[in-house]
Amino acid sequence: MPSVIKNPPVVIRLADVSKRFVIRKDKSLKERLVNFGRSQKHKDDFWALKDVNLEITAGSTVGLVGANGSGKSTLLKVIGGIIQPNSGYVERRGRLAALLELGAGFHPDLTGRENVYLNGSILGLSRQQVDDYFDSIVEFSEIGEFIDTQVKFYSSGMYVRLAFAISVHVDPDVLLVDEVLAVGDEPFQKKCMDKIREFQIEGRTIVLVSHSAEQVTDLCDRVVVMSHGNMIYDGEPHAGIAALRESFGS
Amino acid sequence: MSSPAQLRAERLEGLPFEKSTTSDRGLFGSSIRSLKEIAGRRELLGLLIRRELKARYKDSRLGFLWSLIKPITMLLIYYVAIGHFLGAARGIDDFAIFVFSGLTLWGLYSEIVSSGTSSIVGNAGLIKKVYLPREIFPLAAVGSSIFNFVIQFGVLIIATVALGRFPISWNLLYLPAAVIVVLIYGTALAILLSGLNVFLRDIGYLVEVVMLIFFWASPIVYAWSFVVRAAQETGLYWLEQVYMLNPMSIAIMAFQKGIWASGSEERINANGEVIPPQPWPADLDLRLIVLALVGLVFLWFAQRVFSRIQGNFAQEI
Repeated sequence: MPSVIKNPPVVIRLADVSKRFVIRKDKSLKERLVNFGRSQKHKDDFWALKDVNLEITAGSTVGLVGANGSGKSTLLKVIGGIIQPNSGYVERRGRLAALLELGAGFHPDLTGRENVYLNGSILGLSRQQVDDYFDSIVEFSEIGEFIDTQVKFYSSGMYVRLAFAISVHVDPDVLLVDEVLAVGDEPFQKKCMDKIREFQIEGRTIVLVSHSAEQVTDLCDRVVVMSHGNMIYDGEPHAGIAALRESFGS
Repeated sequence: MSSPAQLRAERLEGLPFEKSTTSDRGLFGSSIRSLKEIAGRRELLGLLIRRELKARYKDSRLGFLWSLIKPITMLLIYYVAIGHFLGAARGIDDFAIFVFSGLTLWGLYSEIVSSGTSSIVGNAGLIKKVYLPREIFPLAAVGSSIFNFVIQFGVLIIATVALGRFPISWNLLYLPAAVIVVLIYGTALAILLSGLNVFLRDIGYLVEVVMLIFFWASPIVYAWSFVVRAAQETGLYWLEQVYMLNPMSIAIMAFQKGIWASGSEERINANGEVIPPQPWPADLDLRLIVLALVGLVFLWFAQRVFSRIQGNFAQEI
């Protein structure tokens, strides 16, 4: 369980955030010309988020849950600044690290060592910091001597382990996690969970998207349930999971 | 007895909020903010440039030699086919230096524009997953192109020294001026086109075709004097002016004036006739300065467009 913080400050604040996706059915120039003027018919608006208000305080672990397509991943991306909302605003402070898809910044032709430096830099570490953490990253990832091999020769488990090891060394104040904890073999999964708990004790804020009710009730002290772009529940985890099950029926 | 968690919370309490909104209204303010943001990530920029260079020739035996083999092959082709078979070399002394100087500068420009255009789409994985100032990707393409240019330029310098044709004159100052103009326009196009390419993939193919046209619309394998002669013979003097509207024409001529000594010398041919130096456009210096200033405005405009559309990259890519 997260440690108790007196008067925790707000680290993320979303005010009336809405995000609209436009789905165009005609992508080619010919189709666009043919449908010109009637183009409204060939566009579908889709509100991935509608007027979401959310405040997250330091040290809390928030689970974002919802059915597929309910907008939870979009919400996480808006929090991370990867997607700009159409209206409303997002405020955040502290160092933010996204554990979105592990290894997104890896280049297959570079060695593990080169990728550690590159990915560390992408996540906001200076060269000096990567130098300092390097041995610890390699040790955590259990890659060992393969660190100087090109990552295209890695097994998928090795790939993910290395990526996770880098992410947890970024020293984030806020960690965004998108359904990536179910990777690697069982011992490594346990290691990841231990790391997450260590983060909680250190007072880091964690926002995670998950489909696993068990994981959410186990880790989170707060659950946000999304349905069709709306926030339908915000509060205690067990009641949140109940609200989620109910939303599946509707 | 403060726990580490409490200390962290207190530190966070003191931090200001960073706000992200839909649109930023200030025209110059937000450009300066983007510039600061990029400057803050210059270490990453350096790593991305090295990644491009390392990954390009990874697993090839000759490695960086390949970045020289291509321009030297082009030089040989143009030297033999255009220079001697078609006779362009007759009016141009030291034709090899002339062609290679044009090819070198053009190589910088075309590499910046073409690799810049695909830079955002090529880094889709990163753009969808992590927030970074996105200008960093076209800028990394510019950086790796500069590296290749420096290698080629080194070969050009060595060649002029080896041929005993290295120009020691004030004209050398045209070299940095020409390179600066190319970098300004190249960077602006790379930023603008990389953003547009996300929404309209045709841009990538269009760039290839347009670059081919502009290669022949710039005095690379033929000299400016040919354009002047054509204008005189046809009486279409406005043609010269139109020709000079292409920023690359001016930049390449300035570059040639800098490194290609024969263009600025009188010479005597085999029949004892005195041949005057190559004609250069009037007001070359002024044109370079104006081009650079216009280019800076264009660069600013490109960045504005880019920052307007970049909010939608993650979902459109």
